[in-house]
Amino acid sequence: MNDETDETITRIAAALRQLPPVDPTHKARVLVAVAAERERAREARMRAARRWRLAGSMGVAAAAAIVLFVWRTDVRAGKPAAQATVQSATASAPTSASASNPAASATTRLAAGNAAAVAPLPVQLVLRAPAAHRVSVVGDFNGWDTHANTLNRDPASGLWSGTVALRPGRHVYAFIVDDSIWMRDPRMPQSRDADFGRPGSVLLVGQP
Amino acid sequence: MSRPRSLQLIRPSAEAAPPSGNAERSLLVRSAQDGDVRAFAALVDMYYARCLRFALHMLSNRSDAEEAVQDTFVRVYRALPSYVEQESFEPWLFRILANRCRSAGSRERRRAEFVEFGEVPERASEHRHDDAIAWREEIALALATLPAEQREAFLLRHVEDLSYDDMSVATGAGVSALKMRVKRACDALRSWLTEERNERRD
Repeated sequence: MNDETDETITRIAAALRQLPPVDPTHKARVLVAVAAERERAREARMRAARRWRLAGSMGVAAAAAIVLFVWRTDVRAGKPAAQATVQSATASAPTSASASNPAASATTRLAAGNAAAVAPLPVQLVLRAPAAHRVSVVGDFNGWDTHANTLNRDPASGLWSGTVALRPGRHVYAFIVDDSIWMRDPRMPQSRDADFGRPGSVLLVGQP
Repeated sequence: MSRPRSLQLIRPSAEAAPPSGNAERSLLVRSAQDGDVRAFAALVDMYYARCLRFALHMLSNRSDAEEAVQDTFVRVYRALPSYVEQESFEPWLFRILANRCRSAGSRERRRAEFVEFGEVPERASEHRHDDAIAWREEIALALATLPAEQREAFLLRHVEDLSYDDMSVATGAGVSALKMRVKRACDALRSWLTEERNERRD
């Protein structure tokens, strides 16, 4: 069976092959959606890694607790042979147990310090765009979601501004003007890892 | 911080030329698989217009077609790690797009069941600006009358220029079935357009 390509079919195909006009706004939106997908995947990976680390730590802690329980039971029962075996097998257990309190308090202090260090800080982002109708900010902190952080316009100055809560560290972000124009913050250094070929800016939070 | 400058319009990159070769495309796909986001953006530039054309012909609605294309590229990005180079990229891409159009098409049909008097497509002759436009409108109407499977097969074969083997990858149907669908689509289009011409002549 062949395609029975005759003049009519050739003409039909030629008309249908004409490419439609492409709306650059929509094409930009496709890349924003892909960037958001990448961010979601990265966060999912990080969550999974955290779960594995937590499960690992809990497993080690549970194993240590079992060993300690067996050892104490044997000591109370007055089994010197078993005690010796357990002591040799878990030589480091009493040491870590005896040091557990200071270590725990040090860990608690460190955790408190870390909590203060990773607490989000308010950061104001400003863009001068008098002719724009809508400006939003997208970045690694909001999953490149164009609806997450919309900026407010000051009609007198033409400045668009908004405050976002960012954890200390390095952030990459960009502005989306009128849902279509992807632009970096002209006041900040340009990111070298420009996302999907679109320009981004780098913001260091919590650093002088 | 320096003084704010006025708005600089940075448009997305210019329309990319159509795929210039398998080697270039393979390189882009490999780079995208390795996490190169610029390479993925180049693939979007390369295939966006073709994907939109296919979706428009399948769904006959611009916003549905744009949504289907956007979703397709997100799915492609998500599935890139599982893509193996032994497969050809184009059929793989069109398989995702065709699946997406099929599910959008069935949603549309379900929605249409509840519309008592929906928008009836206007006959081409009522809005004929010139012969070329009228011809395209006639074809669009004729295409819309085809069952989705035949329309899909016809477009993949005669518009997207896929081989029957690639079409089989893209649709999951066998080569014989696809040849039959294309033949029936050609017959139906030919007959619809001939009748249309005769009606106008009368």
